[in-house]
Amino acid sequence: MGVFGFENILLLVGFLSILAGCYCLIRTFHILKIAIGIEVAMKAVTLFLALAGYVNGKIDLTQTFIITSIVIEVVVTVVSAGIAINLYHKYGSMDIRNLRKLKG
Amino acid sequence: MEVIVYISLGLMLVFAVMAVMLHSITKSAIALAAASVALGIVLYELGSVWAALFEISVCSGLVTVVMISAVSLSHERKTELQKVYNDKKRMSFLPVILIVGGLVLAGVAIWSKFTLPGAGETAAGSSFREILWNQRQADIWGQMIVIVAGSAAVSIMFKERD
Repeated sequence: MGVFGFENILLLVGFLSILAGCYCLIRTFHILKIAIGIEVAMKAVTLFLALAGYVNGKIDLTQTFIITSIVIEVVVTVVSAGIAINLYHKYGSMDIRNLRKLKG
Repeated sequence: MEVIVYISLGLMLVFAVMAVMLHSITKSAIALAAASVALGIVLYELGSVWAALFEISVCSGLVTVVMISAVSLSHERKTELQKVYNDKKRMSFLPVILIVGGLVLAGVAIWSKFTLPGAGETAAGSSFREILWNQRQADIWGQMIVIVAGSAAVSIMFKERD
């Protein structure tokens, strides 16, 4: 197992997915696209957790963490979809810059 | 096993990049679902069977349904979307950034001779079920609280206003 071993390739793909997700978060103003960016980054987190379990031999423990992260991921997506729909009904677009116009 | 993992990883990265770069939200959501399926295959091959099941059913299924529902409840036209967000131009640098990032990371790994420890022995004793229900009960309570908080937030957001 060298530098380009099985685990390192998994790590590399995970880091690239996080890079893609963060780039999406930085560059877009569409709230659903932002939710997609968060999802892409969370996929990498799931991959890292599974890799940690595989390396340590404690795959059953890391599976519980993965399930917790999946639940949180889904709730974040559902709430952001709700915000997106409300934003659309109020301003006619899903641009997050409209959130600045809200009171409070 | 490794060949399947490599193919799935490649597909996962390609679909993730497509989800970020595609202009249409519906197509992005479908690409995200495909990335979830690819990740589910990787998880299955790594031995996380339950996590793979959740990834494919929840992330690939439920999240896509939520995204497409949100799109269907709004009616932003494609041309207007392109004009306002200019996503095609904004996202066009992503492949270059990923290639440069990948090369930098590979260079750092070669320079530092980075290696993870090899796959360890599978810990004997507690099964997934025992760990989830006996050792990680706090996680389950946390999950329930997050789900209740999320559903309360959504129900408040969709409350009928006079």
